[in-house]
Amino acid sequence: MIYLGLLEPLERLLRHVLNGLHAIGLPWAWSIIGLTVAVRILLVPLTVKQIHSMQNMQRHAPQMKELQKKYKGDRQKLNEELMRFYKENNINPASSCLPLLAQFPVFIGLYYTLRAFAKNPPAGDLSWLHFLPSIAEHANSHWSGFVLIVVYVVSQLASTYFMSQGTMQQSQRVLMMVLPVAFVPFIIRFPAGLVLYWMTTNLWTVGQGLITRRLIPKTPVAAPGGPKRSSRTPPKAPLPEAAVAQVQQAQKVKEHPTQPRRVKRKKKARR
Amino acid sequence: MRYAGVALVWAYRLTLRPFLGGGRCKYHPSCSQYALDAFRAHGLFKGGVLAGWRLLRCNPWSRGGVDYAREQKVFR
Repeated sequence: MIYLGLLEPLERLLRHVLNGLHAIGLPWAWSIIGLTVAVRILLVPLTVKQIHSMQNMQRHAPQMKELQKKYKGDRQKLNEELMRFYKENNINPASSCLPLLAQFPVFIGLYYTLRAFAKNPPAGDLSWLHFLPSIAEHANSHWSGFVLIVVYVVSQLASTYFMSQGTMQQSQRVLMMVLPVAFVPFIIRFPAGLVLYWMTTNLWTVGQGLITRRLIPKTPVAAPGGPKRSSRTPPKAPLPEAAVAQVQQAQKVKEHPTQPRRVKRKKKARR
Repeated sequence: MRYAGVALVWAYRLTLRPFLGGGRCKYHPSCSQYALDAFRAHGLFKGGVLAGWRLLRCNPWSRGGVDYAREQKVFR
C-alpha cells in the first residue's frame, strides 16, 4: 500500500510533465530530453553558487595546500581541518546532499511512466533520431540501445571525473568509476528512455564542468583585469598574497566576517 | 533492528551514489557516514530521525562544517 501510495503520485506527475512537453509539439523522446534540461536549469542557481565558492577557494589555495601537506597521511584529520578552515575564512562549500537526492524522485517517476508506456503505448512517435525504435522498450531489445549505454557509461565516467576532482578519496573515486560499468547488466534492462535521461543529465554535467573550469582562474590570486565573474557582489580589487594573509588574520581575531551578506547566512545556519 | 538502517545506508552507497554523482558533502563526516554512526549509536528510529535531519541541513543554504553523530543535540 505504501509502495503504491508513494509511487502513484510520482508517476502521475512525471506523466503530466511529459504530456505537457509532448503537447507543445515535442516527440516523446525529445520530451524526455526537455524534462532533463528543465530539471538541470532549475539547478543552475546552485551551480552559480558553486562557481562563487570555488573562486573563493582558489583565493585560499596556498593555505589549503599547506594543510594538505601537514595532514598528508590522515585523511580524516585533513577533512576536519579543512572544514574548520572553511568556517574560519567564510568559505561555504557549495556541494550538498539534498539537491542530489531531490533528483531521485524524477528517476523513479520516469521509470514507472516508461513502463506504463510499454504496456499501453500512447499516441505519437516513440522513436528517437531514426535509430532508436522505441524509448519504452528495454535498452537491450535493439542494437541502438547498446549505443546509448556506451554513451551513458562514458558520460557517467566523465561527469564523475569533473564532479569529484580534488575532493574525493582515491579508493572512493575508483569505486565511483567502476560501479557504472558493473551496473551495465542491470541498466540494459531499463527502458531506453531512462538511459536517455541519464545520458542527457550526465552530458549536461560535463558541459557545466567544462564551463566552470574556464571561469575559475588557475592562479590563486587573479591578475588585474583577469576573469572575474561575480554577478552579485561588486568585484574586489585583487589583493597581493601578504594582504590576503593579513585579512585572514584580522578575521580570525574579530571572528566576525567583514561582508554583511555572509553574516546573514551565518545566522541562518544557526537556526 | 539498527542493522536494518546500516544495511539501508550501504545499499544506497553501492547502488545510488554512483548514479547521483554523490561523494561530496559539505559536512564532515559525509551524510551517509553520519547516518551509519547515528544508526549504530541510536538505533533505527532515533538514528533515522538524526540522519533525516542531517540530510535536510545539508542544503545549499547551510554552512557545513564538522558535525559528528555523537555530538548531536536532538536527543538528550
